[in-house]
Amino acid sequence: MADTKPFLVEIGSEELPPKNLKHLAESLHRNLLAQLASNSLYPANPSEGQTFFSPRRLAIYLPKILVKQEDRAEERLGPAVSAAFDAAGRPTKAAEGFAKSCGVTVSQLTPRHTEKGERLAYTLRLKGKTAAELLPQIVSESLAKLPIQKRMRWGTGQAEFVRPVHWMVLMLGDRAIKADILGVKTGNQTYGHRFHHPAAITLKHPADYAKLLEKTGKVLVEDRHGRLVKKISAYVNHAAKQVHGRAQLDQGLLEEVAALVEWPVPITGSFDKKFLALPDEVIVAVLETQQRYFPLRDTKGKLLSYFIAISNIQSRKPTVVRSGNERVITPRLTDAEFFWESDRKTTLASRIPELDRVVFQKQLGSYADKARRTAKLAAVIAERIGSDPHLAERAAQLAKCDLVTGMVGEFPELQGIMGGYYARHDGEPDEISAAIAEHYRPSFAGDALPETKTGQALAIADKLDTIVGTFAMGQKPTGDKDPFGLRRAALGLMRILVERQLDSDLTVLIQKSLAQQPAKPPSHEPLVMEIYEFLLERLRVYYLENGVRADVFEAVRAKQPHNPLDFHRRVQAVNIFLTIPEALCLASANKRIANILRQAGGKTGRTVDAEMLREPAERTLYENIRRLQRDIQPLVAAGDYINTLKKLAALRTPVDEFFDKVLVMEPDSALRENRLALLSLLSALFLQTADLAMLQTD
Amino acid sequence: MSLRNPATFQSLILSLQHYWVRQGCVLLQPLDMPVGAGTFHPATFLRAIGPEPWSAAYVQPCRRPTDGRYGENPNRLQHYYQFQVMIKPSPDNFQDLYLDSLKALGMDPLVNDIRFVEDNWESPTLGAWGLGWEVWLNGMEVSQFTYFQQAGGLECRPVCGEITYGLERIAMHLQNVDSVFDLVWSDGPLGRVNYGDVFHQNEVEQSHYNFEAADIQSLFGWFDTCERLCQRLLENNLPLPAYEQVLQASHTFNLLDARRALSVTERQRFILRVRTLARGVAEAYLKSREALGFPLLPTRKPKKKRVHG
Repeated sequence: MADTKPFLVEIGSEELPPKNLKHLAESLHRNLLAQLASNSLYPANPSEGQTFFSPRRLAIYLPKILVKQEDRAEERLGPAVSAAFDAAGRPTKAAEGFAKSCGVTVSQLTPRHTEKGERLAYTLRLKGKTAAELLPQIVSESLAKLPIQKRMRWGTGQAEFVRPVHWMVLMLGDRAIKADILGVKTGNQTYGHRFHHPAAITLKHPADYAKLLEKTGKVLVEDRHGRLVKKISAYVNHAAKQVHGRAQLDQGLLEEVAALVEWPVPITGSFDKKFLALPDEVIVAVLETQQRYFPLRDTKGKLLSYFIAISNIQSRKPTVVRSGNERVITPRLTDAEFFWESDRKTTLASRIPELDRVVFQKQLGSYADKARRTAKLAAVIAERIGSDPHLAERAAQLAKCDLVTGMVGEFPELQGIMGGYYARHDGEPDEISAAIAEHYRPSFAGDALPETKTGQALAIADKLDTIVGTFAMGQKPTGDKDPFGLRRAALGLMRILVERQLDSDLTVLIQKSLAQQPAKPPSHEPLVMEIYEFLLERLRVYYLENGVRADVFEAVRAKQPHNPLDFHRRVQAVNIFLTIPEALCLASANKRIANILRQAGGKTGRTVDAEMLREPAERTLYENIRRLQRDIQPLVAAGDYINTLKKLAALRTPVDEFFDKVLVMEPDSALRENRLALLSLLSALFLQTADLAMLQTD
Repeated sequence: MSLRNPATFQSLILSLQHYWVRQGCVLLQPLDMPVGAGTFHPATFLRAIGPEPWSAAYVQPCRRPTDGRYGENPNRLQHYYQFQVMIKPSPDNFQDLYLDSLKALGMDPLVNDIRFVEDNWESPTLGAWGLGWEVWLNGMEVSQFTYFQQAGGLECRPVCGEITYGLERIAMHLQNVDSVFDLVWSDGPLGRVNYGDVFHQNEVEQSHYNFEAADIQSLFGWFDTCERLCQRLLENNLPLPAYEQVLQASHTFNLLDARRALSVTERQRFILRVRTLARGVAEAYLKSREALGFPLLPTRKPKKKRVHG
C-alpha cells in the first residue's frame, strides 16, 4: 500500500463575492483533484474530501493523497543503429548526443527493435517526486484555473485573485508546506472571525480545520451540504416564531446570506405599519433585494411589519444592531412609497410615447415598436384561443409601460407586477391588469403560468416576438450562449400552449411574427421551420424532465404536428398506448412493416386489390383495416388519439396472424405488390397518430 | 471638544481628517466644481494614473441630481458630503486602517455589525473600474471601498485603494437620528444648527431645478461647448484645464438625465462622449507627468536609472 496523508489548503482573503463563492470553492476542489491525478498523487482508493468556504476563505480538505509519486521507468529512443556508428564502429555524433541527453555514455545504450527499424535506446529510472515538492505548483495551477470573472491586482504586486490574499494554509499531514503563492507565504496558521478572533490560529492537523475554526475562531464555514444554510434557516424560523410569524425563505437569498457571514446571529426588526399599504411585492423587494432581510407573514399569508436580518457578530449590544437595521429600512420604504405615489399620477396609457425612447434591441427597435408588434400578434392569438382580441391588443400596448416608471427603475424585478397595479389604478379592466401582471410568466423553472386568457395570449405574443425577432437578426442561441434568454422564453411559451391547452398552429404564428420584424432575414420559409424546430427542442427537454421517453417524443415529432397542443395529445396517447398489452407487439409489427417497405423501395403507389387477397389471414387483416379506417376517422379529426390507438389495438391478432401465415415477399410480383400495398395501408393507419416504428420495443 | 465619539457633523469631519493625517495622507480641500463623487476630484482620478505614489484625504460635496427627493426622504439627497481617502499603492492593511478609523470615531466592531459586501465600482463616464465592497454598518451602507484597476482606460499600476465615507449616514448612526435633516451640524457657544437648517431649503429648490426647471436646450448646448473646449485644450496640451471641462460635461449630462431628456441610446452615446474626453485627458496627463520625470517617484539610485536611447 502506498503511503497517504491528509491534505489541507486554505486561501485567506479579503471578503469574497457571495454569489460566486460556492461555485469557486467547488471549482477549486475539482481543479485540485484533477491536478493531483495528473501528477500521480491521487490514491487508488480516494475519498472525495470536503469543500469549505466563508466570506474570507476557501478551503479544501482531502483525507488522503499520496505522499510520493511512484518511481517509474521511461524508455527513450535515439538514432537508428545504422546511423549510430561509422564504418570503423565508432559512435557517431548522433549517438553521442543522444547518450549525453540521457546522462550516460554510448556503451550504456542498448539496441531496440521498433517499427522504424533498430534504434538505440535507454531506459531512464525516474524517481518519483514527493507531494511536498509538487504541492505548491499543484495549488498554484488549481488557483490559476479558477473560473474568476474579474481578477484583480492590489498594491504593487503582480498576483491576481478575486480579492487581495492575506494568508494561505498548506498542510500535508501534520506538516506545513512552505511556498510562495499569490504573494503570501504558506504555513499552518489560519485566522478566525475578523472581530471575534483576529489572532492567528495554529493548525496541528488538517482534519481539525472546521472544528477548530468553529470552537476557537468563531467561524462557521459552509460546506457542500449547506450546513450553514440549514443552520441559518433554523435560526430564522425560530426568530419568526417569537413574533408569531412565518419566515418567507428564498433559497437563493439564504445562500447569499450564508456567504456573507462567518458567525450568523439573527436580528428581528420591525418597520412602520403604514408601509404595509404598499404592494406586497414592493415590500418584499425592498427587504430581500436591497437589504437581504427575510420577510415575515402571518398564518394567513399577510405580510407582517417585521423582518429578520442575519448579522455577523455576537454583539455586546444587540439593540444597537437592531435599531441600525431598522433605521435603514425606513428610507428605503419611504423611497418605494415615493415611487408608488408619483408613478400613479401618470397613467400607463399616457406613458406609451415614452416607450419610443427605450431601446428593446438595436436591430429590433424600441419597446414601442415591440409593443406594436406584440399587440397585433396577441390579437391573433386571442382570437385563436377564444378570448377577446381587443383586450389582448390593449394589454399588449400597455404591458411595457411600467419600464419607464420610477418603481421599476429602482426594482427591475417588479416589471409586469407594477404594470398590473398601475393598470388597475388607471381603471383598466381586470382582465387587462391581470394580463399585464402575469405576462412575464413563467419566468423561472417551476414558475406559475398566466391564469387569464388575455395574459396567456400576451405572454405567448411577447415571448414569440422576442424569439422570432432575435432569430431574424441572426442571433439565435448557440452552445451555451443564449444572451437573450430565448431558451427560457421558448420553454415558457410551449408550457403555456400545452399546459393551458391552447389550440394554435405555431408555424402560422411564427410567420405572422416574422412578417412584422424590422430585421429582414434572407429567406422566410426555412427560418420559420428553424424557429419551429427550436421551439420543439424546448418541448423535448420539457418532456424529458417530466418523464416522457425520448422515443415517444421522437415518434410524435416524426409526424411534425404544427400545433403544440395536438403534439401533446399525441404524446399522451402514445404514453397511454404503451400501457396496454398489445402495444409492444404492434410497435414491433410497425417496425417490421417499416423495414419491409423500406427494403421494397418505399411506398408502392398501388392501392390494394381485394380480389387478389388469397389467404384468409390477409383478407381478415384487410377487412379489419377497412373497418378501422372508417372508425378512427372522426376520432383523428377530433384529436382523440387515445381512442384512436385503443381502437387500433384490435389489429394485434390479425397482424400476428398475417405475419404467421402470409409471405409478403412472394415471388409472384403482382401478389407481392398487392401485399406491400396492404402493409402501407396498415402503416398509414398508425401513422395518423405517431410513427410507432420509432418506439423502443426491448 | 472631544474628537472621539463626535457629537456633531463637523466634528465627524474633523475626526476623520485627524485620523488620516496621522496615517500620512495629504489633507486637501474639496474641488470647487460640481461633481458626482469624490472620485472625480483630480486628487483621486488623475493621481490614480501612472506610477507615482500618492495619498490624500479630503471632504467632497457631491451632486447627484437624480437622487433629489425635494427634502422629503430621510436620507436621500441630491447634494451631500463624501469623505474621500486615496492611497497609492494600496497598503496591505488597508481594510484594517479603515476599521481603525471607525474605531477612532467611537464605533466598537464588537457592538456593531460591520461588513464588507461585494460592490464593484464602475464609472462609465471616467472609463474607470475597480473591485471592492460597500461597507455595511448594521445593514446601512456607510462607505465604498475600491481597488482601482483602470482609470481613464489606463491600467492602474500600482493599484490605488480608495475609501469613500458617506458622512451623513455615519453621522446618523453616531447621533442616533432617523432623518438626515435632524443631524446636529454644530453645537457651540453661538447655538445649535441642524443639517436641515443648513440644507433643507437647498434640497427642495435644487430638486425642483434638477427635475423640472433645468433648461434642456441650454444643457445640451452647454454639453457641446464643454466637449469642444476639452478637445481644444487637449490639442493645446493642457490636461488639467481639459479635465475641468470633462467634469462640467459630466455634471451637465447628469442634469439631462434627471430631466429625462435622454433616451437609452442617446444616454449611451453621451456617456461615450464623456468617456472619450476622460480617456484623452488621462493619456495627456500621463504624458505630462512623464515629461516632468514623474516627480513623486522616490529618487532612484543612479545606477538603476534607465537611459533612454
